Amino acid sequence: MIPMIDWLIFAVLLLMVGAYGVLTAKNGIIVLMSIEIMLNSANISLVAFSAYSSELHGYNDLMGQVIALASITVAAAEVAVGLAILLVLYKRYGTIDVDKMNILRW
Amino acid sequence: MFEDLLQGMPVLTLMILFPLIGAILVFTVGRSMTVIRWLSLIFSGIPIILSILVLLAFQWGEALPAGENFADPQFYESYQWIPSLGVSYTVGIDGISLPLLLITPLLTFLSILFSWDVTTRPREYFGLMLIMQVGITGVFVLLDYFVFYIFWEIVLIPMYFLIGIWGGPNKDYAAIKFFIYTHVASLVMLLAIMAIYFQAGANTFSMIELGHIAPGFATTFQIIAFGAFLFGFGVKMPMVPFHTWLPDAHVEAPTAGSVLLAGLLLKMGGYGLIRVAIPTLPEGASAFSPLMAVIGIVSILYAAIVCLAQRDLKKMVAYSSVSHMGFVMVGFATLGPVGMIAGVFQMFAHGLVTAVLFMSCGVVQHHCGTRIIQSLGGISQKMPKLATLMTAGFLASLGLPGLVSFPAEFMIFYSIFQSWGLWILVPIASVAITAGYYLWALQRSMFGPLTTRIDTTEIHDANWYEAVPMAILVALISLFGIFPSIMMSRIGDAVSIILSGLGVG
Amino acid sequence: MWIDGAWLIPVFPLIAFLIISLVPKKWLIYEGGGPYIIGLSTASFIISILVIIDVLNGHTLTGSASPSISWIVAGNVEIRFGIWVDQLTAVMLLVVSLVGTLVVIYSVGYMHAEGERKRRYYAEIALFISVMFGLVLASNYILLFIFWELVGLCSYLLIGFWKEKPSAASAAKRAFIVTRVGDIMLMSSLIILLQSVGSLDFVALFRNDSLATMSPEMATLAMVLLFGGAIGKSAQFPLHEWLPDAMEGPTTVSALIHAATMVKAGVYLVARSFPMLVQAPDSLAVIAVIGGITALIAASNALVMNDIKRVLAYSTISQLGYMMLALGAGGLIIVAFLHEGAHEGIGAGYSSGMFHLMNHAFFKALLFLAAGSVIHGIGTQDLRQMGGLGKVMKVTSITMLLGSLSIAGIPPFSGFWSKDEVLATTFHAYENAAAYNDVFLLLWIMGVATAFMTAFYMFRMWFMAFSGTQRSEGHVHESPRVMTWPLIILASLAVGSGFAMFIGSGFFSFMSESIASIGSNVVVEAVDPVEQLVEIFSSPLTYASLIVSVIGLLTAYMIYYKGKWSVANLSKGIAGRMQRLLANRYYISWFYDAFAYNIVYGMSLVADIFDRYVIDGAINGIAWLSRKTGEILRRGQTGYVQTYVAVILLGACLLILFLVLFGGGR
Repeated sequence: MIPMIDWLIFAVLLLMVGAYGVLTAKNGIIVLMSIEIMLNSANISLVAFSAYSSELHGYNDLMGQVIALASITVAAAEVAVGLAILLVLYKRYGTIDVDKMNILRW
Repeated sequence: MFEDLLQGMPVLTLMILFPLIGAILVFTVGRSMTVIRWLSLIFSGIPIILSILVLLAFQWGEALPAGENFADPQFYESYQWIPSLGVSYTVGIDGISLPLLLITPLLTFLSILFSWDVTTRPREYFGLMLIMQVGITGVFVLLDYFVFYIFWEIVLIPMYFLIGIWGGPNKDYAAIKFFIYTHVASLVMLLAIMAIYFQAGANTFSMIELGHIAPGFATTFQIIAFGAFLFGFGVKMPMVPFHTWLPDAHVEAPTAGSVLLAGLLLKMGGYGLIRVAIPTLPEGASAFSPLMAVIGIVSILYAAIVCLAQRDLKKMVAYSSVSHMGFVMVGFATLGPVGMIAGVFQMFAHGLVTAVLFMSCGVVQHHCGTRIIQSLGGISQKMPKLATLMTAGFLASLGLPGLVSFPAEFMIFYSIFQSWGLWILVPIASVAITAGYYLWALQRSMFGPLTTRIDTTEIHDANWYEAVPMAILVALISLFGIFPSIMMSRIGDAVSIILSGLGVG
Repeated sequence: MWIDGAWLIPVFPLIAFLIISLVPKKWLIYEGGGPYIIGLSTASFIISILVIIDVLNGHTLTGSASPSISWIVAGNVEIRFGIWVDQLTAVMLLVVSLVGTLVVIYSVGYMHAEGERKRRYYAEIALFISVMFGLVLASNYILLFIFWELVGLCSYLLIGFWKEKPSAASAAKRAFIVTRVGDIMLMSSLIILLQSVGSLDFVALFRNDSLATMSPEMATLAMVLLFGGAIGKSAQFPLHEWLPDAMEGPTTVSALIHAATMVKAGVYLVARSFPMLVQAPDSLAVIAVIGGITALIAASNALVMNDIKRVLAYSTISQLGYMMLALGAGGLIIVAFLHEGAHEGIGAGYSSGMFHLMNHAFFKALLFLAAGSVIHGIGTQDLRQMGGLGKVMKVTSITMLLGSLSIAGIPPFSGFWSKDEVLATTFHAYENAAAYNDVFLLLWIMGVATAFMTAFYMFRMWFMAFSGTQRSEGHVHESPRVMTWPLIILASLAVGSGFAMFIGSGFFSFMSESIASIGSNVVVEAVDPVEQLVEIFSSPLTYASLIVSVIGLLTAYMIYYKGKWSVANLSKGIAGRMQRLLANRYYISWFYDAFAYNIVYGMSLVADIFDRYVIDGAINGIAWLSRKTGEILRRGQTGYVQTYVAVILLGACLLILFLVLFGGGR
């Protein structure tokens, strides 16, 4: 197998792509998609941990995969809520440009 | 004879309970003015009778065990409350608490009487005053730091509301200033209490037991802890330069609030010093003694000088309170028997006198519509009874012999000379300045031709409920001025026990 | 023995005070309560006489015989209250009770038109008489101090009796504050004594060595401060200006309080403290010098006063100066004696001071009451508006003449004898008093000059008021008998009290017994009256002062009666400036007012501003700082979700970095 570090580097790169998207996107849906990418990067690293741990210890260490599955579920739910909020915001403001959402400020 | 009467009766707890019950009743069933007023009068007045019984049953002049840092408390009760922390409800009094215990229900009762015609939200007004009585009484009798602190803080809230709701034009600022300032001071005091508790490691908050352990602490610790106590109590007394909350609070507070504030709350600070700080941390006390003296003398003189410039009668009286409490601070700073006995007596004296002073200001404000001295003049022609009582109060405050402040001031001056020699010539100048501002204010506002700067046609003399409290107080002022030994002889034992712990004569 | 009932003396007027002030109006029946105080004051007078008879027979309540009770015990300090009766007390009792009773009787007439206010007047007078008795009977300095202050209180109340008059209220305040300054000095002295000696009882302090525990400087300081109280109360320079202002009160008050009794309290204090003062000789010199200066300055002021009461006020100050001078001189003679051997007449200064006190009380009260009679009859106090009253107000005129002759020092009136003794003592001090004798020559000259001025201004006053043609308009009448009878009684005393020197063993031996305890070899010799008389008239000193007084009288006669010499051309040049200086009272009052207003009040304004803007400013500054910090920090809440996310990520990175670098391997 390829060294685990390669997977982790891949996950971090994916994280950075996602973070860039979260921080700089103007469209709310893009923000949500970028959050998904970040979540998936975490999932990848979890699965990698599971695989390499299994190999290291001899038995099938499934903990990482289980957590990844749970995480996907939670991500789905959270995206649903996020999209619902975006819908309400669109009805209220007619736009989903995140630069325009700053009511809760000083 | 009186000891048997009070045998087994939890007098002190009753003195705390009565106003508490009164407050609850007033808040729940108080609907009409009559009910509210009479309820408050009764429930704040019964403790007066109890306090007189205590006075008569109080034992003094016997040999008490030496080496104890705390006087053998009388009327002692103790109940466990939070055993795991070592908190217990412990009450007891000795010669130091006795005079203060006497004036607490008296001043509250007279203030309630004085406020007979309060029409804005009377239920809350009288209820808050009763709660204050609960708190103040508790402070003076409790011997457990934890519960002491609770009651200490209880006092702040009603005062804040009294100033903030029934106060003068600038009440919001004054109320918040008072609250935050004194609350910060209380927190510093709490720090000191916690420090002592943890350092002792004895799982008890009892003042008596900690008072036995604490003098053994390291000197540095004692100095720091005493400094914290000094700040906490000094702000309350109040001491220059931490006194500026007082003029604002007094000027804006309603008359009864001012009477309680000046008559009782200020004494809490002094009481704390001599009850808590000095006996528990003797080495800290010795180290801070010169500083305390300086602060005290500065307070006496500086406040007196500022009084001269005041145009508002009540503000002038407020600053004079700062000046007179300075005497207490100096008396305690001498760490000698004469000074400390005189300091306690001065607290007692000042409580009585300042009540008369603030009540006169209240009457002037109420009837003449203004307190500005320049706007008043010749008022004695319209209000002869008030003029007489006000003059008596002013003369008492400036230390006229025959009235209660003289023995206190003279003994404090004597103790200053005893400890620091010719430095006495500095604070003694305040005697002349005090006479100056009081007589000047009296002359400008009461005597001379009737003023034309305000409408004087409607002015009538003080009402019965205003004159009677003042007359009672003036009578007491004369009584204790002629026979100060009634009080002084009872204070002596407690002080000598504290001083034997300090290693002084 | 009557003397055991001495404690009743102050009690009777006190009862009168309580009755008059507390009993409801309709039960008081008559004249605002006057009869009560007259009756009770007479009772005190009778008891005083009985006590004095006892003292004359040699019984006293001094030393350990003086009864006392404990007042305060605090720590190791104990203060006791008690009664002390000796020859000095006897003199004071006589003065206070007699003058007090006569003044109250006189008041019935004088205050008749006051209506409702009479009640307050009589109550305050009753209180005053009571506390004045208490003052002279006290056996402990604290008790004395208490009554000292209470006397000042009554003076304050009575000067400001006519409350609506702003000048009266102001004068009352001024009197109280000035005497308070003196009282501060007295209180300081008492504190020093209490600390050094351990007690303020007369018994303890009058031992020969009571001040031995203190250093000489401290002892002198304590004694000078003690005298400071007397300076205030007895209106000596530089605290003397309150007394002329105090004339705002009713004339009866001026007569009783500011001429005969309260102002004598300072002299009494000095006389009473003699056993201590002789242990600190420098203080005696201070007393004498201030007394002499006061006598001279006050007399010079009286020369130009146009208000009849103010002439008398300054005259009082001047005479009090004489008394202090006598006491100081006499004390130094005793000190000199204590260093040498037995010496005759050692009680001279002490006795002459008290003798002058007694005589002065009588003739000054007489003069004031007579002036009151004039004011009552004519309605004005201005001498320039009077004149020719002698024809109409015969009794007043004659009694006032007798009083003036007495104070001017013309024999055989009482003032002559006592003033002569005062000056003789001063000269004696010049001859004998070791360290300071030259000063006393100067003081003697000042005393003689004062005698000249005294004669002059008294007769100037008498002539302006009673001789010549009537300058005032309106009807003038003699006063009612209730007012003239006290005048007559006092006049006979003014004439006759001087002869007390010659009755029995004489006043001087009498007085000397009260200081017999000073020094172990004091010899109190009975002076033969005839011998004394011869001595007086064979000494050139006597004639010096007598001639000077007669010249003064004649000068006044020439200017004001005959009109031969005119004072008009004295208004120009140097004399004119002197006149203006005197009329403005040496600008002393002006100076004190300026000092109080500009410096003291100015300081307080500065302090007030400091308090409001600096100290309070700091507190408000802290509050401002908290608010401002909050305002700045809340800018961080931008409302943009992305900002928050960025911060979270940044924080997470920092945390990981921190862990990696410092977490250490595991």
